[in-house]
Amino acid sequence: MSIIRYTEEELLTLKPSAVIPTGFDHQEFSRLVAKVTEILALRAEEYERQHPNGSFNRRRSSHHHVRPKIHKNKPKILTDSDGWSTLENNVGGERRKSSIVADDVVKSKVRENIVNETVKIKPNNKNIGSSRPADTRDIIADKQTITFNAFSALESDDEED
Amino acid sequence: MSATSVEQVTKKTEDLSIDGNKKTVLNAASTADKEFELKHPLNTQWTLWYTKPKVDNTEDWSSLLRPVTKLSTVEEFWGVYQSIPKASELPLKSDYHLFRNDIRPEWEDDKNAKGGKWTFQINDSDRALLDELWLKVVLSAIGETLDENDVAINGVVFNMRKKVVKLAIWTNTCDKEVLTKIGLKFRAIIGAILNNKKSIESQTEEEKQGEKPEHQPIEFKLEFIKHADSENRKIPPFMIL
Repeated sequence: MSIIRYTEEELLTLKPSAVIPTGFDHQEFSRLVAKVTEILALRAEEYERQHPNGSFNRRRSSHHHVRPKIHKNKPKILTDSDGWSTLENNVGGERRKSSIVADDVVKSKVRENIVNETVKIKPNNKNIGSSRPADTRDIIADKQTITFNAFSALESDDEED
Repeated sequence: MSATSVEQVTKKTEDLSIDGNKKTVLNAASTADKEFELKHPLNTQWTLWYTKPKVDNTEDWSSLLRPVTKLSTVEEFWGVYQSIPKASELPLKSDYHLFRNDIRPEWEDDKNAKGGKWTFQINDSDRALLDELWLKVVLSAIGETLDENDVAINGVVFNMRKKVVKLAIWTNTCDKEVLTKIGLKFRAIIGAILNNKKSIESQTEEEKQGEKPEHQPIEFKLEFIKHADSENRKIPPFMIL
């Protein structure tokens, strides 16, 4: 049995002689599609009303955006040879630019204060916990720097007076 | 036979007398009565199915998939095509399926079980071409020009989704030789439409800029997935064109 074939052109030439198959209620089908479309549109509208501006009450995505910087940079702590730690004010070289334009004078004063202000904090814990004295200057203070010399005392000028 | 019945028979005979004005197959051409016009039969009967989007939680898949009508002639095809919503007018999560005879557009159907589907995903930028793409694919299916050697085509499918719109050709075989021929035909249909659109756009651009841009064919991909592998998304497509 040979296959009945039609080219696209042949099929298109028969378009004007269209006939609706008997028993097919095309209006009922179109109504069904229209009704479904309407229901879905209403649902979408309601959803949009409940979630304006595209907010979905969802938790922030953790991988689609750059995370906001919650923790600020910790100040850099410099510890000198004596074990004293100092906070370095200008962390990162440049300060964050402010969106508010202040007077130059005020700005320069603020800068001076920042530069001059050094905060002394307690020494490192490692020094406190160790057998080594926490502060070497304390050693100097406690140490008896001037020893009593009996011969020197005999030669003291006080007695001559 | 009683007298009464004779009268009835006589009456009926009178009613059956040939009326010169009544239309017959022989005089149909002159009266232009569509009922008797010569129709162009399709190679096989086709059934149009529609998948309704779920609007109620009580609805299950079997109740969503419904046969719309059967088509036996080219004229009936055009009658249905022109009277139902276009593919682009379907609500989201709707499908049109045009399947041969009584084959259900489901993997589980015996006629589909050993086959698969060639699929083409339509880009957002080409959504204006939905109706043209769907019509051309349908015409090639009912005209039996997709498959020259045998009847390996079971049906054609249109899926309307939010993010992606798909066209698919369902086959009853996974024979690579047969599939390649069908895939190339499918590709030729899609390529002609997409490239024609690009050509028109290029001409418009040419008119604007006064330059002659190069016409490079649009690249797109067709995938064939076996129905047996459909449930496992990790399995790569059986064929790619």
